[in-house]
Amino acid sequence: MTTPDSTSPPPAHDDEPVLDVLRRLAEKELSYDGPLEREQRLVEDLRLDSIRLLTLALAVEDHFRICLDEADEERLVTVGDLVDTIETKRAESADADG
Amino acid sequence: MGESTLLDLLARAAALEQADASLEAPSGLRFVDRAERERFHTWGSLRTAALRVAGSLRRLGVERGERVALVYPTGIDFFHAFFGVLAAGAVPVPLYPPVRFGRLDEYHLRTASMLRAASARLVLADGRIRSLLGETIAAARPRLGCRTLSALPSVPPTDDDPDSGEPIRADDLALVQFSSGTTVDPKPVALSHRAVLAQVRALNGFWPDDSPVRHSGVSWLPLYHDMGLIGCVFPALEIPTVLTLLGPEVFVTRPALWLRAIARHRATVSVAPNFAYGLCVDRIRDDELDGVDLSCWRVALNGAEPVSPRVLRAFQERFAAWSLRPEALTPVYGLSEATLAVTFSDLETPFRTTRFDRDLLAQGRARVAGDGVELVSVGRPLPDTELEIRDDALHPLPESRIGRLWVRGPSLMEGYLDRADATARALVDGWLDTGDRGFLSGGELFLTGRAKDIVILRGRNYLPADIEHALDGVDGVRTGCVVAVSHLPEGGRNEELLLFVETRHDLDDATRSSLPRRCADAVLGSVGLEPDRVVPLAPGTLPRTSSGKLRRSEALRRWLEGRLEPPRRVTPWFLAGAWLRSFGGFLRARLGLRSAA
Repeated sequence: MTTPDSTSPPPAHDDEPVLDVLRRLAEKELSYDGPLEREQRLVEDLRLDSIRLLTLALAVEDHFRICLDEADEERLVTVGDLVDTIETKRAESADADG
Repeated sequence: MGESTLLDLLARAAALEQADASLEAPSGLRFVDRAERERFHTWGSLRTAALRVAGSLRRLGVERGERVALVYPTGIDFFHAFFGVLAAGAVPVPLYPPVRFGRLDEYHLRTASMLRAASARLVLADGRIRSLLGETIAAARPRLGCRTLSALPSVPPTDDDPDSGEPIRADDLALVQFSSGTTVDPKPVALSHRAVLAQVRALNGFWPDDSPVRHSGVSWLPLYHDMGLIGCVFPALEIPTVLTLLGPEVFVTRPALWLRAIARHRATVSVAPNFAYGLCVDRIRDDELDGVDLSCWRVALNGAEPVSPRVLRAFQERFAAWSLRPEALTPVYGLSEATLAVTFSDLETPFRTTRFDRDLLAQGRARVAGDGVELVSVGRPLPDTELEIRDDALHPLPESRIGRLWVRGPSLMEGYLDRADATARALVDGWLDTGDRGFLSGGELFLTGRAKDIVILRGRNYLPADIEHALDGVDGVRTGCVVAVSHLPEGGRNEELLLFVETRHDLDDATRSSLPRRCADAVLGSVGLEPDRVVPLAPGTLPRTSSGKLRRSEALRRWLEGRLEPPRRVTPWFLAGAWLRSFGGFLRARLGLRSAA
């Protein structure tokens, strides 16, 4: 299996579940190979400090070609929040494209 | 050398560009984003845009000498605003933008207090940041509000300075920058054009001048930081040459992009604080450096925080495989109040360390001892800069005696803006009290700590950095994120040594539970002290200044007050959780229930 580079453009409508992509990004960008589940909190459970949060956020933006704004960041507490935000943003950009 | 202001330097660079339009690559600023796309702006185009901004600012009502705060990410808009403010006769005050995922409530407090301290009349910001600044602006109430460049009144484009008013002089302020200690009592450091140009010329005089090397730099340092703006941008403008800029967030998330930019553009100079070199060692993967050749990098300055010999060696060993020169790493020392740099170590030789007797150091004397404390030389003073080590009565001390470091030279600040009291404490008879402690040995400066950061145990003084460095390399400890303090507990008989230790995020249980003991062992083994308490902390818990320096006494104060906690986002759910916890505690107390925990 090949791992796509985070900076290369992904397929426009990737069928791979977002959570699986996040697991891959976390492993590649943060060297994190523990469990990654929806209910985990990014800071308290995954122990992401500001640099690692930023690293993950930028990797997500690059991979999914979306933009997280400050309002999103305020809401992102758990992995599930991140997954939902990504899916919403992707749907919005798909609508805009279509 | 006819130029006496930053605006003169910009005009000269623009004129050279016009004269040399047909010759080699023009000089200017190159911006690299996180996908390594690049945009280049010549100094001439920057000047044209800045003069237009100046015209708009005057029309808006900005007056000579008034302060204008700039809140921008790294990008060309910052420079249009910075030089535009200067050309309008006003004084730029670069402030740091909010960090993503940061604590906005704390940001508003700090920024509003800096705006007030600088008496800013106007805040210029980019669109994204402006939308976040509402609370800050409401608290600080700058008279002309907060605007983006595109929302300034438009004026007809002009090729030259539209103003016929008084020319800007060397004695006028070139900028106001904030030193460390921003949160407690922000002190705006006021720097004249004369001081800044003296500094910039001293820095440029230091680069090894063996033409045909054409010097150029790469920097990811924030532009509100003296080392980024004064240490990187202005020297490039003075030559003039090319400076390649990355945003700080680009560096911290992908440190390899820094080294790749250096290699790609054959940069000769790049500067960073100690932690950045450690981050490179820890985070860069070999495959990110395919084809990278660092042999061009002649001067890798390391300053702005205490320099760790261990980090220097690790960086050198790791990147030697990519042709990093052994003599590149150059420890330096400086502070905002002296514009930037005070000492430089020799650029052409590898960094030097010396071991000094531990017991004698704590008594204020430096004597070389083979098994003693290893200290890094930060070199000799810049030309025209004098150093004095003084005792508490301000009497100069001879070599090898530790005291407070005082500095005199052409780059000292004018003073703290509108703070005659603080200025009088810092500047005495033309000498600046750095607040740092150290000693001279063979004419070279060795730093031993801050005047107020002394660990006192059993009647003896210890240097906190000594104790903290003992934890470099302890498994699970975040390097450089350790604070050693001592205090006399209430009712206690002796001072106690406390270690506040940020742990890495990814610890397994065994590492985590054994960590306090291993930290204590490391300190005992290297310093001969048994810590009374090791307090493991989540990443990001230790308080720092805006430039990232650890605030030891503040850490102690918070801990004593039970407030040394990791950063938390304040959300409705968090507040609800806090309420539930306290309500639950109330219920348990009322009903006599024991806590389930």
